[in-house]
Amino acid sequence: MKAVGARLPRYDGVAHVTGRTEFVDDVRVPNMLWAKALRSPVHHAGITKLDTKKAAAMKGVHAVVTWEDVPRLVYGHLEALGIPGDEPLLAKDEVRYKGQPIALVAAEDEETAQLAAEAIEIDFDERPALFDIRKAADPDAPQIHHWGNWYPHFEAEMDVRQIRKGDIERAFDQADTIVSGVYRPAAIEQAPLETQISLVVPEPNGRLTIYSCTQALYFSMGVVAAHLEWPLNRLKFVGGTVGGGFGGKVDTAAETVSALAALKAGRPVKWRWTREEEFLCSSTRAPWHMEIADAVTKDGWILGRKMLTLHDSGAYARFSPYGVTKHSFHHTGAYTIPNLHFDGYVVFTNRVPTTAMRGFGVTSVSFATETHVSRTAEVLGMDPFELRLKNANRIGDTSPNGIAYTDPSTVPTIHSIAEAIGHELPGDYRAMTRDARGGDLLPEHLVAQVGEVDH
Amino acid sequence: MNLTVNGVEHELESHALRPLLHVLREELGITSPKAGCQQGGCGTCTVLVDGEPRRSCLLPLAAVDGAAITTVEGLGTPEQLGPVQAAFHDKYGSQCGFCTPGMLLATHALIERSPKAGRDEIEEALAGHVCRCTGYVKILEAVEAAVGSAS
Repeated sequence: MKAVGARLPRYDGVAHVTGRTEFVDDVRVPNMLWAKALRSPVHHAGITKLDTKKAAAMKGVHAVVTWEDVPRLVYGHLEALGIPGDEPLLAKDEVRYKGQPIALVAAEDEETAQLAAEAIEIDFDERPALFDIRKAADPDAPQIHHWGNWYPHFEAEMDVRQIRKGDIERAFDQADTIVSGVYRPAAIEQAPLETQISLVVPEPNGRLTIYSCTQALYFSMGVVAAHLEWPLNRLKFVGGTVGGGFGGKVDTAAETVSALAALKAGRPVKWRWTREEEFLCSSTRAPWHMEIADAVTKDGWILGRKMLTLHDSGAYARFSPYGVTKHSFHHTGAYTIPNLHFDGYVVFTNRVPTTAMRGFGVTSVSFATETHVSRTAEVLGMDPFELRLKNANRIGDTSPNGIAYTDPSTVPTIHSIAEAIGHELPGDYRAMTRDARGGDLLPEHLVAQVGEVDH
Repeated sequence: MNLTVNGVEHELESHALRPLLHVLREELGITSPKAGCQQGGCGTCTVLVDGEPRRSCLLPLAAVDGAAITTVEGLGTPEQLGPVQAAFHDKYGSQCGFCTPGMLLATHALIERSPKAGRDEIEEALAGHVCRCTGYVKILEAVEAAVGSAS
C-alpha cells in the first residue's frame, strides 16, 4: 500500500514533457501511404451509382477500398453479447447518416488521396431523414432501419428494455404527490485532441501490424479479425498511448478499413481523421429523452418510479442496447425506490451512431435523477439533503435489477458534502449510517424489501 | 531555405507553402508538435519562432525562412529537464500528453517575456491551448510553479 495517498511520479510523465511520447501519428515507417475517405454528404439515401475507376487510375493512388473489398461486411461490435450486427463497415446500397464512410483511398500523400476520394463517381437517391427520437413511432415517420425505427433484439426478442419491481400501482395509490419531469441531455462529442487514427503495416510474414489509438485494444483486434475473417494470430496490435479518448475511442473507427487498404496496396497505410471528421463523423455521446414520474409521500419517501427512456442510437445499434441496459440498472441512482416500472427504447435516427462517453448510459440518468430529487424536495418543501439521506442506498437494499448493495456510498457522500459546505443536518440525519435499515428510519413500505434480502 | 531547429541548422528544399508543422514532423522527424486540428484552433502544433509561440500548422515554410525554431525537445532532456518541463512533471500538468508540448512552449515564452507573470497573464498566454483531459487546474498550477521557480 505504498501508493495509496502518496504522490508518485507518472510513469509516462518525463516522456510527456520532453516530447518523446509516441502517439500513432508519431510512428514513422518507410513507404507509407496516406488515406482519405469518401463519406456520405447526405443524411439518408440509396446509393444508385458507385464507380471508383477514375479515382483508382489517378497518379499516386495505390488502392481504393469499397464494400466489395470487405470479407465480412457486417459485424456487430457486441455480437458476443447477443447484440446482432446491423452496420456495414463501408456503405453498400444505402447511407444512413451524413459522414458515413463509403470508400477509402490510399495514395502517396494526403492531398492526392483527398483529390481521388473526390473523383469517385457516386449518385444518391435521397430519402427523408429522421432526427427526433420522439417522432420515431409516428405513423408518418420515415422508415430508416431494416429492423424498424427502434432496436427489436433485447432478450426474448423484446423491443424494449423493461424493469418491473414491486407493486407500482400500489405505490402510486399510496402517494401523497406525484412529481413528474422530463430530462433531455444533448449529444456531446468526446473531442479528443488526437483525432481518430491508425497505421497499418503489412509484414513480410503475412501478418499485419496495426498501430491503434483504441481504448480497448483486444476488443478492436477482435473487430478487425472478424471483418477480415482472419485468425487473431495474424494481427499484431500496438496501442496503449491514446491522445484522449473519453469513450469515443471504444468504437473501432479507423483500423479495419486502413487494414484493407494496406492489404490492397501492399504498403503501410496511415489514416488520420481531420478535426472536421472528428466532430461530424465520429460517434458522440447519445442524446437522451427521459420521462420520470415519482410517487412520493409528504414526509419524503419515494415509493415508486415510472420511467420512460428514449435513447438516440444514431443510424446503427453499435453499443447502444448495452448502454440502455446499464442505464436501466442505474435508473434510481444513489437512491432506493422499491417499486419500479421502467421502459427503455434504443431509437434509430439519421445521426452519427452514438457510443460510450464517461459512464456510458449512467451519466444521463444520474443527471435526471439528481435533478428530479432536488425538484421533489422543492415540491415537498423539504431539505434536499434530508430527502437524499432518507432514500439513500443502504447495505442490503436492492438495485433496480435486484442486486443487493454491499458497499453503497450515498450516506457518507451526502454527509461529506453537507460538511464541506457547512450545511447543518438534524441529529438523526447526522447519525445515519449506510448500514442496513432498521429502527425508526425503516418505513413500512421498505420492510418487505429488507425482509427478502438474504444477508 | 534554412531553418535552425533546437540549435541545429537544416537546409530544406520543400515547397515554400508547406506548413512548418509538416516540415518538422514529416521531413525532420520532430514529432512533438501535433496535428490536433490543423486550423490554428487547438494549440497542439505550437512551436517557438525566434522565441515567439506560433501555430506551426498555419505557418508556410517561406514565412519562417532563416528563423530559429524551438520545440519541446529543445527545452531539456529526460536526464536534465528544463524548469518548465520539471514544473509540469512535478505538478501533474499533463494527462494524455497530446497538448503538453504546446502548453510547455507557451509557458516558456511567457516566462521569458514576463518572469513574474500573474494569474491573468498566465490565462491569457494559455488561451487557445485546448486540453480535454485535465480541466486546466493542474496545468495552471504547473505554470504558476514554473513562474515561481523562474523568479
